[in-house]
Amino acid sequence: MRVLSLYVENDTFIHKLEPITKLLYALISIVITFLFPSIMVGAVFVAFSLLLAISAKVFKRMLLLLNVVLIVLLSMVIIQGLFYRENVTPAFRLWGLTFYKEGLLYSLLLIVRVVNMIISFGVLILTTRPSDLVDDLVQKGLSPRFGYVLASVLQIIPQMLSTTSTITDAQRSRGLETEGNLFQRFSAFFALLGPLVLNSLVEARERAMAIEIRGFSVEGKRTFVRQIPETKADRWIKISLYVAFIVAVVWRIILWVM
Amino acid sequence: MGDVSTKISIEHLTYKYPFAKNVSLEDITLSIDAGQSIGIIGRNGAGKSTLCYVLSGLIPRFFHGKITGKVTIDGEDVPTMPLEKLIRKVGLVLQNPFSQISGAKMTVYEEVAFGLENLGIEKDEMHERIDTVLRQFDLYKKKDENPFELSGGQLQRLAIASVLVLKPEILILDEPTSQLDPRGTTEVFETISQLKTLGITILIVEHKFEKLVEYVDKIALLHEGKLLGYDTAEHIFSTSEIETYGVGQPIYTALCKRMGLKKANGYYPVSFGETVALLNGLKGSGMDRRTYNG
Repeated sequence: MRVLSLYVENDTFIHKLEPITKLLYALISIVITFLFPSIMVGAVFVAFSLLLAISAKVFKRMLLLLNVVLIVLLSMVIIQGLFYRENVTPAFRLWGLTFYKEGLLYSLLLIVRVVNMIISFGVLILTTRPSDLVDDLVQKGLSPRFGYVLASVLQIIPQMLSTTSTITDAQRSRGLETEGNLFQRFSAFFALLGPLVLNSLVEARERAMAIEIRGFSVEGKRTFVRQIPETKADRWIKISLYVAFIVAVVWRIILWVM
Repeated sequence: MGDVSTKISIEHLTYKYPFAKNVSLEDITLSIDAGQSIGIIGRNGAGKSTLCYVLSGLIPRFFHGKITGKVTIDGEDVPTMPLEKLIRKVGLVLQNPFSQISGAKMTVYEEVAFGLENLGIEKDEMHERIDTVLRQFDLYKKKDENPFELSGGQLQRLAIASVLVLKPEILILDEPTSQLDPRGTTEVFETISQLKTLGITILIVEHKFEKLVEYVDKIALLHEGKLLGYDTAEHIFSTSEIETYGVGQPIYTALCKRMGLKKANGYYPVSFGETVALLNGLKGSGMDRRTYNG
């Protein structure tokens, strides 16, 4: 199936949760880790998010996602360790450069926040069919037009890529050089762009007509063939998340006032 | 209001697209009875698709421009009919099966449900209708597959199923087989044959005349936006002017015209069956086909 998605098919408790519950967890855990400038709070959420990833059997995929941001995280350590404005206490020297404790601790705080962001959203993306997430959001009140855009992009972009390769083959068969130096590739790009854009516009117009005559712009109550169920577990998790959010905000205000 | 059996009535319809120099349809007048199958033919730019868009309400809702004349379905004015009502009356299938898929649904089943969801059809009825059309179009086994994984013929059948699940009384097909291979074409025409038995009024724009003539009761010939003929296939294709309009004709008709073979009623055969019957009749009469060198 050619769909822009990282979804891993499985039958776990996390997979069965309502997409919005997982989205809510991702958002609230991110907000809490940013509310508290504490490595410990961040580490707790990282550990919990990792636990969710392991129980959803997507740990390996998660490592691949983390791998993508590894260089960014490493650069955070170097930059903050060397140049953080509150750097006072030297921690160690490497290749003649002094790394400071304050900067390293601050970079650690940033790392736990970013890693938690990736893992918590990773759990959502790896365990939820994209169409389920969109359907769930539309069923909870998101505009159907906006939902359509989100859902269709996931499938139509891969189709456009396949059209691009067809156009590339067609142009190549007529002698267009699509490989070689940068200039050759650049000029080939423009030769591909014209047919691709025109083709996409024609298809978009036809698709708009096709969904119009299937009642897309009809106003009024919509129904859904696949109702995304909200289980008891979803309800309890959501309540816990809301409570955690409120407690965190109140706690932060108290800390701020004191 | 027209005759009770008149499903579609078009009177002096003229339409011009915005920014276009010339009109795309000019003074079209015709009426179609309920349950009839009509073929619409004409060369590119004749106004075939434009006529489909007017009847399905895309003109003036989707395409603006200047429209005059009267178009009614069951006596009700099409351009001003509420969209929700019009959708339940008319379904339109376009030529590119790929671009008719909503693109927002991950399975064939959900794709068919798209229109029903938009119209707010209750869930139980939705399941019942979807199951029925998927079985009718032999797509039930594919219900959990991604629409983009289907073959061209299957995709076009899915497009027809997705429209028919809305239970329209009229189905308009705009060159539904133009992008399909012979197998896909046969699949679509078999589907059309099924629909005829259900009493649905069908309008089909098609260039594959050999197939078309087997399924339609009448043919409307359009040329440069004008309706030049509206009659049975043998009437339309037997005229000598047909070749001057650049629309072509069934290969059997062309062959018999060349050989000077006419049916007993004075018209040329249009289908394979008619041609074979005519040739067999000649054999029985002891005449050699080679004597008919036109």
